[in-house]
Amino acid sequence: MRPKGEISHGVKGMTVIVKTVASWVKVLIFLFGINIVLFGHLTPGGGFAGGVILASSYVLLMLAFGREFAEENLPLPLASKLDCLGAFMFALIAVLGVVFGGSFFLNFLFQKYLPGHALHLVSAGIIPLCNIAIGLKVGASLFLVILMLSVSCKGTE
Amino acid sequence: MLYALCFLLFMVGLYCAVVKKNMVKIVIGLAIMEYAVNLFLIMLGYRAGGAAPIIDRTYLEVGTDKVAANFINTSVDPLPQALVLTAIVISLGSLALIISICIRIYGKYGTFDITEIRRLKG
Repeated sequence: MRPKGEISHGVKGMTVIVKTVASWVKVLIFLFGINIVLFGHLTPGGGFAGGVILASSYVLLMLAFGREFAEENLPLPLASKLDCLGAFMFALIAVLGVVFGGSFFLNFLFQKYLPGHALHLVSAGIIPLCNIAIGLKVGASLFLVILMLSVSCKGTE
Repeated sequence: MLYALCFLLFMVGLYCAVVKKNMVKIVIGLAIMEYAVNLFLIMLGYRAGGAAPIIDRTYLEVGTDKVAANFINTSVDPLPQALVLTAIVISLGSLALIISICIRIYGKYGTFDITEIRRLKG
């Protein structure tokens, strides 16, 4: 007979305490990641660091609840499509620089349409949009990588 | 002098990557080489006695010319820092690829020793 404290250990995630706290905290981590991505032109961070934080909220989900739960929450085809969407948005913004201005990757929002005030959220042209695209791509890619690494590990099916 | 220590760290990583026989130690050597390069890039932008390259919104009431001149004269260079942030995330991705190759090799050959992996097994 196994002792009472060991019932929820093992293959399907962790104990009740970890599951409860993780279900509160993962939303806060996701919001923090969105803040780092969106204010990337004002505070340190930007798309890459914010994307890692977004992926880490899903890794917390995977560790606390088990791999199948995380796979149902964000299925693999959807994560793959978000990955491609991020890259496509980035390329689209760069090509729109040719369409609206003269050169590739021109900051057309800053120079013509939407200059904004310095050090506010709406400023620096296309840089926040590029940050959003990069954050989406890096977050989805890292989530897929860690999910695939956990599939190959035989100990925690 | 500090750049020489950075180079020494790179040489330590290179020694691990070239001489060691265990696959995981080779991967650790590659990671140490990446740390050394990132550290070197950040140290290039340093200025002795400089401040962090962040401008608060309340400072802008003085006028943007004075704020820009003060920023250029007293803060460290923010461009290498942004570059290294990107490089760290990219090295995370390549490390994940290398680790997954190591896992697959262990699954096929049953050992982490690279001297015992001789022929390609189907």
